[in-house]
Amino acid sequence: MDGEAQRSTASWENATLAPVDSLRSERAESPMPGLVEGTEPGAGQKSAMFVHAQSFEDLTAEGEDEREAELDKSGECADELKVLVGEKSVEEQHNIDVTSETRTKEEDVCSEAWRSHRKHVFVLSEAGKPIYSRYGTEEALSSTMGVMMALVSVVEADKNVIRSIHADGCKVVFLTKSPLVLVGVSRTSQTDKELLRELLYIYYQIVSLLTLTQLNHIFQHKQNFDLRRLLAGSEYLTDNLLHRLDRDPGLLLSAVTCLPLASSARDVVSSGLQAAKSESLVFSILLAGDRLVTLVRKKDQFLHHIDLHLVFNLVGSSSSFREGEGWTPICLPKFNTAGFFHAHISYLEPASQLCLILVSTDREDFFNMSDCKQRFLERLSKRSAYQALKEALKCPSYSVEQVAIPELRHFLYKSKSSGLYTSPEFPEVYQSDAEQERLMGLYQDLHSSLHHPSRPLRSFYRCGESENLLAWVTSGFELYLCFSPLGTKALALSAVNKLLKWIRKEEDRLFILSPLTY
Amino acid sequence: MLMISPRMASGMQEKQYTPSLLNFFVYNPSFGQREGEEEKKILFYHPSDVEKNEKIRNVGLCEAIVQFTRTFCPTKPAKSLHTQKNRQFFFEAEDNFWIVMVVRNPMIEKPNKDGKPPTVEYQEEEILDTVYGAVVRQCYSMYKLFNGTFGRAMEAGGVELLIQKLEKFFYRYLQTLHLQSCDLLDVFGGISFFPLDKMTYLKIQSFVNRVEESLSLIKYTAFLYNDQLIWSGLEQDDMRILYKYLTTSLFPRHSEPELAGRDSPLRPEVAGNLLHYGRFLTGPTNLKDPEAKFRFPKIFVSTEDGYEELHLIVYKAMSAAACFMISASVELTRDFCEQLDGLVGPQLTLLASDICEQFTVNRRISGPEKEPQFKFIYFNHMNLAEKSTIHMRKTASVCLTSVHPDLMKILGDINCDFARVDEDEEIIVKAMTDYWVVGKKSDQRELYVILNQKNANLIEVNEEVKRLCATQFNNIFFLD
Repeated sequence: MDGEAQRSTASWENATLAPVDSLRSERAESPMPGLVEGTEPGAGQKSAMFVHAQSFEDLTAEGEDEREAELDKSGECADELKVLVGEKSVEEQHNIDVTSETRTKEEDVCSEAWRSHRKHVFVLSEAGKPIYSRYGTEEALSSTMGVMMALVSVVEADKNVIRSIHADGCKVVFLTKSPLVLVGVSRTSQTDKELLRELLYIYYQIVSLLTLTQLNHIFQHKQNFDLRRLLAGSEYLTDNLLHRLDRDPGLLLSAVTCLPLASSARDVVSSGLQAAKSESLVFSILLAGDRLVTLVRKKDQFLHHIDLHLVFNLVGSSSSFREGEGWTPICLPKFNTAGFFHAHISYLEPASQLCLILVSTDREDFFNMSDCKQRFLERLSKRSAYQALKEALKCPSYSVEQVAIPELRHFLYKSKSSGLYTSPEFPEVYQSDAEQERLMGLYQDLHSSLHHPSRPLRSFYRCGESENLLAWVTSGFELYLCFSPLGTKALALSAVNKLLKWIRKEEDRLFILSPLTY
Repeated sequence: MLMISPRMASGMQEKQYTPSLLNFFVYNPSFGQREGEEEKKILFYHPSDVEKNEKIRNVGLCEAIVQFTRTFCPTKPAKSLHTQKNRQFFFEAEDNFWIVMVVRNPMIEKPNKDGKPPTVEYQEEEILDTVYGAVVRQCYSMYKLFNGTFGRAMEAGGVELLIQKLEKFFYRYLQTLHLQSCDLLDVFGGISFFPLDKMTYLKIQSFVNRVEESLSLIKYTAFLYNDQLIWSGLEQDDMRILYKYLTTSLFPRHSEPELAGRDSPLRPEVAGNLLHYGRFLTGPTNLKDPEAKFRFPKIFVSTEDGYEELHLIVYKAMSAAACFMISASVELTRDFCEQLDGLVGPQLTLLASDICEQFTVNRRISGPEKEPQFKFIYFNHMNLAEKSTIHMRKTASVCLTSVHPDLMKILGDINCDFARVDEDEEIIVKAMTDYWVVGKKSDQRELYVILNQKNANLIEVNEEVKRLCATQFNNIFFLD
């Protein structure tokens, strides 16, 4: 059963590539198609920061010792629960300021308005108990969720696995990740695979709060446990993650975008983080809003993009970290589903967008981490690079006009080996939320066509009434271009070469070419 | 169907299984609503030897899926259920009458060492919903063509009669479903038209008029040559399903005698009738036989206020076939058949050789056929016209295509993309095998082209398709 679910989720991860540490010297002047992976624009020069193809399961071999240590430290599950409940007050603080207006819980679940939401997400336990619903209260939906569980069980009784139900303009997707069942109901044109990927993110979001070990432990002891008791106050994280999934290309591309910054300044910041190390420190991450400034990691330890997005989501969903130094347990499920890391989260300066996340293995390490941050800040504030960084914050993005390609409205470019992507800000024509989500929808369609599980494609060109789109995937990069409907095929073709040249020229600024380790 | 994969893994053979029919059933949830009477909901179940409780459970699951989906979209019913092992297709053919087809996903069986049972891997992304959804609807249309609606059987003889009719029809029909070779053409369900010059077309039209005038019993006529339609007096949707029956079932069953030599025992008795090659494909095989029965299959076609029942007479001379439809209330006699044979036989024989001659002349003008760089499928939703250079001649058992099945599925994927948006579009993709596939949708027309020019770029592909449109569809405007 579980093996099945694992397999279906592993397939989309295979789309990304394992880090490549060699071949960095052969960076072509003019990047052309057919580039070897690792030499495409944006590829890191020393070693990759993230792990892609390898999931947590692949890492266990190396990570075994640490995991055991982690487990030892965490001790009894009951103990963990107490820790978690203790943390609840922090979580609740977050809750106050976030998205109360978007959470339309008290909606009538029989109304047309409820039915017509673009995307519903439900989480339930294998006993059919509601855990989460995006719209409407779990109480009002308990019978609906009961039916969902019944459908899952009936198909399971036949030694089979339910995947999805399709009606015109609506589909229901099921993901069983014991001990949880996740169900998505969507009116978008997304494929089953894309919807499953989103459900998987939600699953990992829940695991990141509890660890899988604890989750299993709870349900083994009490099958009809009401998990909402433990998750109360954290629903906003899931709400926010769902919002991101509709809007953030990074989650679609399995990649992260960077704050544009001169490489000289970025290198100074990175080495600052590298110097502020500590025994238990595993990852130091500096964020500017939703953009990565730099990431320094312990040698041999990789961060999976899913884990990083969960961290982004945690930081981005809450303003309470602004009030001082935060200290919160977090499970990074792609790294290790069994134990908690402890994250020190703080902003460099009170009103700054720069947020520093120090991930430690030691629960008692708060003061140590606090000290690391101070050391980093002191060192950085003496350097001119800090000024450059603050300047860069003023223009965290760039307009597509800078690329100077006629009729080009927007694009996404992902360097596969570095796991980083770049994209300009939305142009005039896509200013409204609805328009931006529509454009994201188009990218999602292109993405799922190119990454079809059994019939992948090299390139996809679509010419419609509102825009012309071109998508292209090679072993080194993925590229998605959006042109005005006036753009021709000849133009699209020449735009690819022009754009790749431009990205090569700007890669020092747009990507992190020399990631560091401690 | 079992195919042995050419791939041999370390001396052990992998077995590859194509999609196959697991279950096919018809049920009505409003029957047998009392506890313990669930079996009454089931009107037909294939295979019939399935245990009663399993039938009830499978129907129950379908009911639950349909009901559950209504929570989210009350107006649009569930159409399919995907599971790891199979796909189920739901179709509410008439109020409360549901037809369900369960198709097993293709799978690969990998043998294990040490006598362990083989590992089975299901290929879950191979079946296209649009294709098999269309197959289920086609099953119903075919039932309706020969039996009328379910409601009609209910009125005439209650549930018992309906069950009988379903049994009788589907028992044979399901054996003719070849699920492994279904593709985009099933989605279109189109009609292939025979290209003809004006003169010959007028000749055929006047032939039809003459026959209808002389034999006033004839209500509708259809004329086909070489399995392609030339003239039809029926409504489009009726002709579409009749065409499907003729070309995939009736004609293939009768093609052998003509191919057989003059003295072959397969050749029907034409003694004393050397004036023409005409013969009945439905009804009596030999008019001279004193025992001959003058019974023809009955079909149901739509009228303004319902449907009417007709005798279907199919009469063929060489490659030309004429279908004559006569109200079922009239009893057909030997006299009538002899009259028809005498009138139609010689004329149809003559027409057939005229068309054949013209056809060969045209072929000669267009030059010797060399393997083109492209293959295409064209479909027009307005007149149901379809044209495919991908499909070889259809036979009763298989429909051969000349391209890789994965490419056919990419065509299906593009067709789904088109169906989602109601506007003119063009999609050009390059497959991993470096084939280019182009889809164009313009107004009511769809064109799909597969190009085998691996080193071409987007612009060259576009030029190639433009040339194709100019030569094959010179009067049709496609979005550039």
